[in-house]
Amino acid sequence: MSEAATPILSLRGISKSYGGVQAVSDVDLDVCRGDVLAICGDNGAGKSSLIKVISGAQPPSAGTMTLRGEPVRFGSPHDALQKGVATIYQDLALAPRLSVAENVFMGAELTRRVGFVHWLDKARMREEAKRYLGRLSVSLPDMRQPVERLSGGQRQAVAISRALRWNADIIIMDEPTAALGVRETAQVLDLVRSLKADGRTVILISHNMRDVVALASRVAILSRGRKVVDRPIEGLEPDDLTHMIMSGGERAGL
Amino acid sequence: MKRLIELYGTAIAGLAMVLAFVVLAPNFASPGNLLNVVKDTSFLAILALGFGLALTIAELDLSIAEVASLSAVTTGALIQNKFDPNLAVLAGLGVGLGLGLVNGVSVTVLRVPSLIATLGTAAIARGLAFMETQGVAFVGRWPTSFTGLSRGATLGVPNLVLWLVGATAFAYGLVKWTRTGARMVATGEAEEAARLAGIATARMKRIGLVLSGLCAGLTAVLLAANVSSAAPNMAGDYFLYAIAAVLLGMTMFEPGRPNVPGTVFAAFVLKALGNGLVLMGAAYYVQDIMLGLIIIGSVAFSASVVKQAAFKV
Ligand SMILES: Nc1ncnc2c1ncn2[C@@H]1O[C@H](COP(=O)(O)OP(=O)(O)OP(=O)(O)O)[C@@H](O)[C@H]1O
Ligand SMILES: [Mg+2]
Repeated sequence: MSEAATPILSLRGISKSYGGVQAVSDVDLDVCRGDVLAICGDNGAGKSSLIKVISGAQPPSAGTMTLRGEPVRFGSPHDALQKGVATIYQDLALAPRLSVAENVFMGAELTRRVGFVHWLDKARMREEAKRYLGRLSVSLPDMRQPVERLSGGQRQAVAISRALRWNADIIIMDEPTAALGVRETAQVLDLVRSLKADGRTVILISHNMRDVVALASRVAILSRGRKVVDRPIEGLEPDDLTHMIMSGGERAGL
Repeated sequence: MKRLIELYGTAIAGLAMVLAFVVLAPNFASPGNLLNVVKDTSFLAILALGFGLALTIAELDLSIAEVASLSAVTTGALIQNKFDPNLAVLAGLGVGLGLGLVNGVSVTVLRVPSLIATLGTAAIARGLAFMETQGVAFVGRWPTSFTGLSRGATLGVPNLVLWLVGATAFAYGLVKWTRTGARMVATGEAEEAARLAGIATARMKRIGLVLSGLCAGLTAVLLAANVSSAAPNMAGDYFLYAIAAVLLGMTMFEPGRPNVPGTVFAAFVLKALGNGLVLMGAAYYVQDIMLGLIIIGSVAFSASVVKQAAFKV
């Protein structure tokens, strides 16, 4: 835990199993406001499973969470979003046949309320969607085109835009740059920096150790569902992280 | 050009067929006959719009015809027993809404796939309809305040046409212009993505199925008002027609998705086709064969959501 700061999010004894598969075992984790916490680990280490618990997408099999000092139990992603926790999922969670604007504003539509009816404000959603994508240096000619016709990187930008749309103060990103080109990756990294500068808290899952070293303030490493490392990033080189992931523990002497 | 055919191909084919009947089928183009086709389209289209709304949230509502029949006999029983027609209408709509809610709860709370849940509801509704009527139809001289719902006209426009326009506008406005509609579409298109985006997908599913039931109830009331009678299987013939209308509608305007203009236009084409075939002297069973071909052909052509909904079992 970083010195003196009280954590905005704390996990205690979180476990998640899918039938016989123990994906996450007894993880304690503290995230402080303004932290960029990187979660690393091999494929299948349980990173996505852990953040699905934090984002309300999956209930934990055991353990408790505390958010801003209050115990929380997310029954659905809706609960988490309401409490300011937004997530970009590894598989992006888009609706392929719906448009860019519809995907960006899914579940958080811009509306005009007349009586008890919320009428969609489509023009504004298209404009705003364009603006969100612009922040990621992705420009698409038409916000009405279906997401299935976009490139992988453009889709990723749509998924990121949706998370930004919630204006959440904890943002979880599960491999947000996986499908991105060099330029877009740089934009996402910049975005993480600006979120941090904004005072927001970012939990970042990445397999790119250079990105992790460049962005993160802390790193947690999972190995077969267990947390084996949890420390500030200071003094670590990408190679050290790689070694720790492979050996499943801290490197002697660091 | 390719895109044009994709969007409007089957609509143009349907229109061409209607024009062919105008030329070939004796009396088809007479105002009286055309008006009848349009009126008949109303019952079908309203029922089909309900099925389409259920399909929008990726559920199949196979109970629409039996629910409509039960609604009709419920309304009929009250009219027959001299209850206030308004009450009778509300009861008919209430039965539709109630059974829609039963479907919604079965699917979202009991987690029974809609294909099965709505079949069960259909059987129950059918049983109740025969119980209420003891197997015979309610027929009588019903008050014009009731029969006028279907047979009357307002400002020169037949009421059935107004109901059709109203139901179409409601469904279109809901799906295209409201937040609830957008969330229903998202739920039907990608349920897990919608859930992760914070949408209450179970509630959207219940809304879709309730509206489907409500449309069945409205269809039933209008059918009963039109013929001044109510029989325990009176909407049965509309079942395949309604499904065909939605599926055929999914091949046009917004290919692959249930859509309101497609459903209504396809309902008209199907009713014109049925009518034209009769006028040309085709045997009654030709219609069933035709419907079967249209249902299979449409799904093969583009109705991918249907495949998804049907295979969820
Ligand atoms: N829905 C599921 N049902 C069953 N097993 C699952 C499910 N999701 C994940 N698992 C299993 O849980 C373990 C952890 O998976 P998880 O996706 O959390 O790993 P990860 O660290 O995110 O890996 P990657 O780097 O490949 O994304 C794996 O063994 C995986 O097969
Ligand atoms: Mg993962």
